[in-house]
Amino acid sequence: MEFFSKKETNEAHPYIPELKDQYQRGRITRREFLRNATLLGMTFTSASAFLAACGPTTEPTAVPAATEPTMATAVPQPTEPPAGGPIRGGSLKAASRVQKVTHPAQFSWIAPSNQLRQVAEYLTYYGVDNVARPLLLESWEPSDDLKTWTLNLRQGIMHNNGDEFNADDVLFTMKEWLNEEVGSSMLGLIGDYLSAENIEKVDDYTVRLNLSRPEIAVPEHLFHYPALVLNHRTFEGDFIRAPHGTGPYTLESYSEGERVLLRRRNDYWQTGADGDPLPYLDEMEFIDMGEETSAWIAAIQAGEVDYLDLGDNVSPDFYLALKDDPNVVVATVPTGTTRVLRMRVDIDPWTDNNVCMALKLCQNHEKILNLAYFGQGLQGQDMHVYENHPEYCSKPVPQYDPERAKQLLADAGYPDGLDVQIAVGTGWPDIVSYAEILKEDAAAAGFNITLNTMPNSQYWEQWTEVDLGVTPWTHRPLGTMILNLAYTADAEGNPVAWNESRWVDPEFSELLTQANGTLDVEARRQIFCDLEQIQMDRGSIGIPYWMSVWMVHRKSIMDVPPHANIYMLFNEVWKSA
Amino acid sequence: MTVSEQAIGQPTERPGGLRRAWEGARVLWSSKTAMIGLLIVGFWVFAAIFAPLLTPYTPTEQDYTAQNQGPSAEHLLGTDSLGRDIWTRLIYGAQVVLVMLPITETFWLPGGVALWGVIIGLLAGATLGLIGGYLGGWIDEVVMRILDAMMAFPVILLYMIIIAAIGASATNVVLAIAIVGIPGIARLVRSLALDIRTRDYIRAAELRGESVWYIMFVEILPNARGPIIIDAMLRVGYAIFAMGTLGFLGLGLPPPSPDWGSMVAKGRQFILSGSPWAALWPSVAIASLVIGLNLFADGLREESLRYQ
Repeated sequence: MEFFSKKETNEAHPYIPELKDQYQRGRITRREFLRNATLLGMTFTSASAFLAACGPTTEPTAVPAATEPTMATAVPQPTEPPAGGPIRGGSLKAASRVQKVTHPAQFSWIAPSNQLRQVAEYLTYYGVDNVARPLLLESWEPSDDLKTWTLNLRQGIMHNNGDEFNADDVLFTMKEWLNEEVGSSMLGLIGDYLSAENIEKVDDYTVRLNLSRPEIAVPEHLFHYPALVLNHRTFEGDFIRAPHGTGPYTLESYSEGERVLLRRRNDYWQTGADGDPLPYLDEMEFIDMGEETSAWIAAIQAGEVDYLDLGDNVSPDFYLALKDDPNVVVATVPTGTTRVLRMRVDIDPWTDNNVCMALKLCQNHEKILNLAYFGQGLQGQDMHVYENHPEYCSKPVPQYDPERAKQLLADAGYPDGLDVQIAVGTGWPDIVSYAEILKEDAAAAGFNITLNTMPNSQYWEQWTEVDLGVTPWTHRPLGTMILNLAYTADAEGNPVAWNESRWVDPEFSELLTQANGTLDVEARRQIFCDLEQIQMDRGSIGIPYWMSVWMVHRKSIMDVPPHANIYMLFNEVWKSA
Repeated sequence: MTVSEQAIGQPTERPGGLRRAWEGARVLWSSKTAMIGLLIVGFWVFAAIFAPLLTPYTPTEQDYTAQNQGPSAEHLLGTDSLGRDIWTRLIYGAQVVLVMLPITETFWLPGGVALWGVIIGLLAGATLGLIGGYLGGWIDEVVMRILDAMMAFPVILLYMIIIAAIGASATNVVLAIAIVGIPGIARLVRSLALDIRTRDYIRAAELRGESVWYIMFVEILPNARGPIIIDAMLRVGYAIFAMGTLGFLGLGLPPPSPDWGSMVAKGRQFILSGSPWAALWPSVAIASLVIGLNLFADGLREESLRYQ
C-alpha cells in the first residue's frame, strides 16, 4: 500500500494487510478497522489516511442491529460553529462534586478524574466510538500471541513543572496501580495478567509489558479513569500537593466540597486548528453544587454554569428538565450501561432454565425502555453485549410472549404459577419502574412477583447473594470485558467473584477463552454470535435496555465530544463569544 | 361516625344511646370547623370504601401509550410515569390508609394502616400510662424514663430505624406508627390518671376491693376518654404524615402499591419537565386528609370544652 512509508509497513503487525483487505471488501466497518489497526500499532493518522484513500465502503449488514425506531442515535445534537472556527479564551464553569482526593490511582468516582484529567493524562484514550487510540503513547505493538505489548512513548512531552515525561513515569505509575497497599481498582483490572516485575523498561521511551496470558484490551485498560500517569520525580502519594502532569491545565486550587480551579498552560504538547498549543479555553472551574438535582438544573438554566459534569450523577431528571430549553444542549450518548435481571442458577426455582426463560419472556423490552427510561437507550436482547461493542453480532430483540412463558413454567412443574421475590434498590427509580412493569406483565404468565425494596446501599451489601434481583452494570468498551467479569469461572471451576448469577457454562467459557485471544474482528464476531446465542438460550440474565447518558452544556460551549463514560475530553472545547 | 358520637357523650348523665347520638350530632353540627373536617375525612373514607365502583381502572394497570398526562375525561386527574390512572391510585391508596390493612396478599383487616397504628399505640400507650399514673412508685419511674429515652429520638429517625430493622410492609408500618406513638399517648394518659386517681369514686372502688386492673380500665380510662379521643384523632393525622414520609423515603409499602408518599417521590422527578400531576395530587390528598382530621379534632375539642 502506497499510503504507508516503507518503515511503517515493515513494522506493522502481520495482520494489518488482512485487516485492510477485510475493510475493502466491506466485511468490517470503518470503526472496527480503526480500532484494530491502532490496536496493532498502526498510528491513527496512517489508518485514517488509508481509510480516506479507500473512500466510503458499504457498511456490513451486521451493524447496527435493526431494531425498533425508539433507539437513540449515537450522534449528539450538532452545535453549529460560527464561521471562523474555534475562538481562544474564556472560562468554562462546570457543576460538579469536589471530593477529597489524594492518589489518582485510588479514584472511585468519575468526578475527580474529570477534574484532574485536565492536569495529568493517560497513555491511551477512546472516544464515543470505543476505538482506542494512543495519547501519551506514540504507538503500541502487541506480539502475535498477544502476550507481549511494547509501548512506544511520545517524546518531548513535558510535565507542567518542567520535567520530561519518560518511561520511568510509566513504570512508576504502573507499579503504583499494582501495589496492593495503594488499593487501586486498576489492580483488579490488570492484576491478573500483569505483575510489577513483568514491566520492563527497554529504553527511556519504550516500555514492554510481558503478560501472563493473552489480552486484547490493554489499550482500553490504560484509559481506565484511575490510570492517570504520574510524575515519578515529584509524586509522593498526594497529587494535590504536587499536581504535576502532562495535561493542558495546571491546578490552581483544589478545595474539597467547594471548587477546583484550573488554568491553561502555554506549552502543552497538542496543537489546535490554528497551530498554537491547545487548549482553547483559558480556565476551567469546577463548582461543587451538592447532591440536589434541581440546583444543578437551575444553575445551567440561569447560565451560572456552562456544563454539568454528570459523571457520577447521571439521571434522566436532567434530560427531562432540560431537553426543551433553547439555551441548553442535551446530547444523548448511547452506552453499554445497563440493568441486569439476574437469576441465581444455583438456587431453586432458577436452577431450571425453563423458569429463567419464562421470566425473560415476560419482558416487553419496548414498553420497559419507553416507560422506565423514556426511550433514552437501546432495547436489550437478554445477553450482555451491546451494539457499539466492536464484536457485537446482531441478534433480534426477544418478543414479549406470556403464553410461551406460561407453558415453560408448566413444563418446569409450576402449572399454577410461581411466587417470586425480586430485590430492588429504591435509589434507582428506573429499576423500580422496570420491576413494576415486569410484575404487571409477568402476571399473565403466572408469575406473582413481590418487590423487595431496599436502599441502594443495602442492595450492594447483598447483590451477589439475592436469588432474584436487578443489578446496575456500567459501560465497558469491549464485549469481552464484561463477559469475563460476570459469566465465567475461576481455575477451579467456581464462579468468579462478580459472577452474581453463578452461571457457568462450559461451552460458553471455552468460546470466551477463544474470543479473548482472537484479534480478527470478524472471527471474534463469529465467536460472539455463538456466545450471545448461548446467553440468550440458556443464560441467567435478562437485559431490558441499554441506557443512554447525556452531556449537558450551554449552547455557547462548542465541540463538546460525546463520551459513553461522560469523561470530559475537553482539550478542543471552546466558547463562542 | 360512631367514634365521634361517643366522644362527646356526657360522662355524668349516662343517657341512653339515642339521646347520646343526638347530643353528639348537635355538638358536631354546632361547630363549623368540625363539620368541614368531617366532610373532608368523610369524602376520603367514602372514596376508599367504594373505590372499585368509582373508577374503571385498577391501581396497577399500565397504559404505556399515555404516560405523564394531565387531567382529561379519560383520566380524571391524569396519569403517572407508567401510564397508571392517578385518581385510581389515590383512592386505592386511601383504602390502605383508612379502611383496610393488608396482612397478606389475600387477607386483610378492616381499618387502615393509620387507624391500626394509632389503635395499637393507644392500647399499649394507655396501659403504660395507666400503670405509671395509677400505681406510681418505681414502676412509674422505670416506665417513664424508658419512654423519655424514646422521645429523645427525632420522630423521623425513629421511623427510619424501625422500618430499616424490620423491613417495609403494611403491618410493619403499623408497628412503627404504634411504637413511635406510645410515649406521647402514655404521657397524656398518665397525666390524666394522676388527676383522676384522687377522685372519690376511685377511693370508693378501692374500698370495694376492686382489682388494680379493674380500677385502671373501668374506672379511670373511661373518664379520661375525651382528651384521649381528640388526641387520637390528631394522631391519625400524624400517622398519615408518617406514612407519606416513609413512602417518600422509599420505606413505605413496597411498589407497585398505591402508596401516597411513594407516589409523590416518583412523581417529583417530572415536575421540572412540566408534568407536575403525579406529584401534586397525592400531596394534595395527604394534606387534605390531615387537615380534615385536624379540623375535626379541633372543632370537637372547642365544642366539648364549651359544653363542659
